[in-house]
Amino acid sequence: MARKLKFAQQGSPGSRMSLPDRFLRLLDRFLIGALPIKPIVLVFVFCCAVTLVGVLVVGDLGNANAEAKNIFTSSIQGLQSIGDLQYDAQETRRATLYALTTKDSNLQVMYADQSRDADQRVKDGISKYSKQAIRPAEVQLAERLKRDWDAYLAIRDEVLASILEGSTKEAVNLDIAGGVPAFELVRQDLKQIKHAYDEDASVRIANLTAVSRASSRKLIFVLCFAFLLSLAAVSAIQRGQMLGTMRLANLQMEFVASVSHELRTPLAVLNSAADNIADGLVKGDAAMQKYGAILQNQSRRMSTMVNEILLFASTEDRQNRYVLQRVPIRAVMESVVTSTQGLIHEGGVTLEQYVEPNLPDVLGDLVAISQCLHNLIGNAIKYGGDKKWISLTVSTAPAKDRGEEVRIAIADRGIGIDRSELAHIFDPFYRSPRVNGTQIHGTGLGLSLAKKIAEGIGGRLSVISELGMGSTFTLHLQVARNDDGEQATPVSGSATSAHS
Amino acid sequence: MGFRAILTIALLLAIWPRGTGATAAEIVEPPGPEQSGPFEPLAIVVNRSNPENNLSMVELRKIFLGERSHWSNGRRITLVMREPGEPERKTIVRDVCGMSEDQLKIHVLHGLFTGEILVSPKILASPAGARKFIFNVPGAIGYLRVSDLDSTVKVVSVDNLWPGDRDYKLRVPTQAGY
Repeated sequence: MARKLKFAQQGSPGSRMSLPDRFLRLLDRFLIGALPIKPIVLVFVFCCAVTLVGVLVVGDLGNANAEAKNIFTSSIQGLQSIGDLQYDAQETRRATLYALTTKDSNLQVMYADQSRDADQRVKDGISKYSKQAIRPAEVQLAERLKRDWDAYLAIRDEVLASILEGSTKEAVNLDIAGGVPAFELVRQDLKQIKHAYDEDASVRIANLTAVSRASSRKLIFVLCFAFLLSLAAVSAIQRGQMLGTMRLANLQMEFVASVSHELRTPLAVLNSAADNIADGLVKGDAAMQKYGAILQNQSRRMSTMVNEILLFASTEDRQNRYVLQRVPIRAVMESVVTSTQGLIHEGGVTLEQYVEPNLPDVLGDLVAISQCLHNLIGNAIKYGGDKKWISLTVSTAPAKDRGEEVRIAIADRGIGIDRSELAHIFDPFYRSPRVNGTQIHGTGLGLSLAKKIAEGIGGRLSVISELGMGSTFTLHLQVARNDDGEQATPVSGSATSAHS
Repeated sequence: MGFRAILTIALLLAIWPRGTGATAAEIVEPPGPEQSGPFEPLAIVVNRSNPENNLSMVELRKIFLGERSHWSNGRRITLVMREPGEPERKTIVRDVCGMSEDQLKIHVLHGLFTGEILVSPKILASPAGARKFIFNVPGAIGYLRVSDLDSTVKVVSVDNLWPGDRDYKLRVPTQAGY
C-alpha cells in the first residue's frame, strides 16, 4: 500500500500503467484529497443514485397499485355490475311470470311491483354503464342494450296489464310472441358486455402482472446496487482513512528525520567548536570571537527551532486563547521589522514596504500577529530563491462578513508552490517533495502555525502562488471597532512565543 | 229456458238477501255510526293513459255494473273494487250502483252467467294495491280517497265535478287519524 501511495504521489501521468493501476492511482489521489471531491461527496452521490432508483421503484409500485385499483373499479366492479344487471333483468321477467301463477289481484300487483323495482335497477345499471362507456364499441353496446331493454319493457307492460286484467291466455301469447325474443336480445347484449369486461380484465391483469414483475426486477436490482454501493463506499472510506493515516505517519517520520537533522547540524558545530576551545586549539581574541559568534548563531538556531516546535505544541493544546485587543498597525509593523531584521540581514534580502496611509487599528494579539508574520517572512526568505526580494504590503479591503479588513501581504519571487500542493501546505509537518530534495531545511510547522495563529485571533490566512513565479501570503485581520478595548503597546525584539 | 237460466235462478234463490223486494232506495243502508263524522271526497281514478277526463254518473253506474265493457279508445274496462265492507266500496255500491252489497253480488253473478259481464271486478285489499293495479292496467278504473291519491293514477270528474268541488257527490267517512 505504501508503494502504491508513493506511486500515486510521484508517478508521472505519462508513464505506462495498466488500467487497474490507473484506477487505483486515481482512487488514491481522490481518497487523499488530491482531487477536488471528497469521499463524502462520493457517498452522497451513491445515496442520491440509490434514492433515485428507489423513487423509480416506488413509482412503479404506485403504478401497479393504481392499475390494480383500475382493474377493481373498472373490470371487477364492472363484472359485478353486469352480474347484478343480469340478475335484475331475470328478476324483472321472473316476477312478471310469477304474476301468471295466481288469480289473486293483490299478489299479481305485488309481483308487478317486484318486476318494476327490478326493471328500475336494470335501467339504473344501464345508465351507469352508458356513463362510463368510453370506447365507441362500448357506447354502441350501451345504446343497443338500452334500446332492447326498452323494447322488452313495452312488451312486459302489456303482458302485466293482460295478467292483471285476467287475460292469462293473452298474456302468455304476448310473452311468447314478443317478450321471449325481446328478452333474448337483452340477454345477448348483457352477455356481450360481460365478455368485453372479461377481456378488459384479462388485459389489465396481464398488464398488472408485467408491471409487478418489472417492479420486482427493479427492486432486486436496487437492493443489489445498494449493497454493492455500500461495500464500495465502506471500502473507499476505509481505504481513505488508511491512506490518511499512512500519510500522517510518513509526514511524522519525515518531520522526525528533518528535526533530527536540523538539531544535529548545530549540535555538531557546537560540539566541534567546544572541543576546539577545550583542546586549546583556539588561540587569540579574534579566533575566540569567531568561535563565540559560531556558538551564538548555532545555539540561536537550535533555540528558534525548539521554540517553534514548542509553540506548535502549545497552539495545538491551547487554541483560541488569545486575548484580542485593539492593535495599531504601526505597532505591528515596528514589531515585525524588528523581529525579522536579523533574518533579512543574514539572507541579504531586500524588503520593500507599502503601507497604506491612515490605516485603522486591527483587532488581535500583537505578539501573535508578529509571530505569524515572522513565520511568513521567514518562509519568504527561505523559499524566495535567487531574487532575494520580499515585499510587505499593508492595505484595507472589503471584508466578507464585516465591512472592512486589513490585509498584510508578504510576497516573494521565489520557487512558488504547485497548484496540487496548495491544499496541503497548511497541514502540520507537510513539506513539499520538491523542497525535501533541496537543501532548504524546515520542520513543516511554520505555515501550519501561522494559519492557526491567524484563525486564533479571528483572522485568516490566504495564499496565491504560481510555480516558479513566487508566492503571496496574506494575513487578513479584523478592523477594530470603537468598543474593542484598549490599544496594545508596541513590543520590540523577537516575537516567537504565542500569548497564552 | 235453458240450463243456464235454471242455474241462475237457483243461485239467486240461494243467496238472495234479506228484505226481498225492496227498492233501490229502500236498500240503501242508512249512514251508520261511522258515517256520522266528517266526510272526505272519494275520487274516481283511471290509468294515466286513459283519454277520459269526465264521466257522468250514468256512465259510471254502467261501468261499475258491467254494462259498459270498453273505453272510447277501445281498451277493455277492468273494474277495481275494494273488499266488501270497506267504506269506499259501500259508497260506490250505494251512491253509484244504487244497490246493496248483496244485490251487486247477484248482479255480477248474473252478468257473468249470462255473459253480459266479461270479467269480474278485481278485488284489492288496500288503497295502495288498488292504485298500483290501476297504474299497471291501461283500462282499469277504480276509486280512492283523496288522501290516497298520487301521480301514478288519473282522477276523472263525475258530472264535471271534481272531488274538491262542493257539490261533488261521492264522499266517504273520514278514517280515524284524518
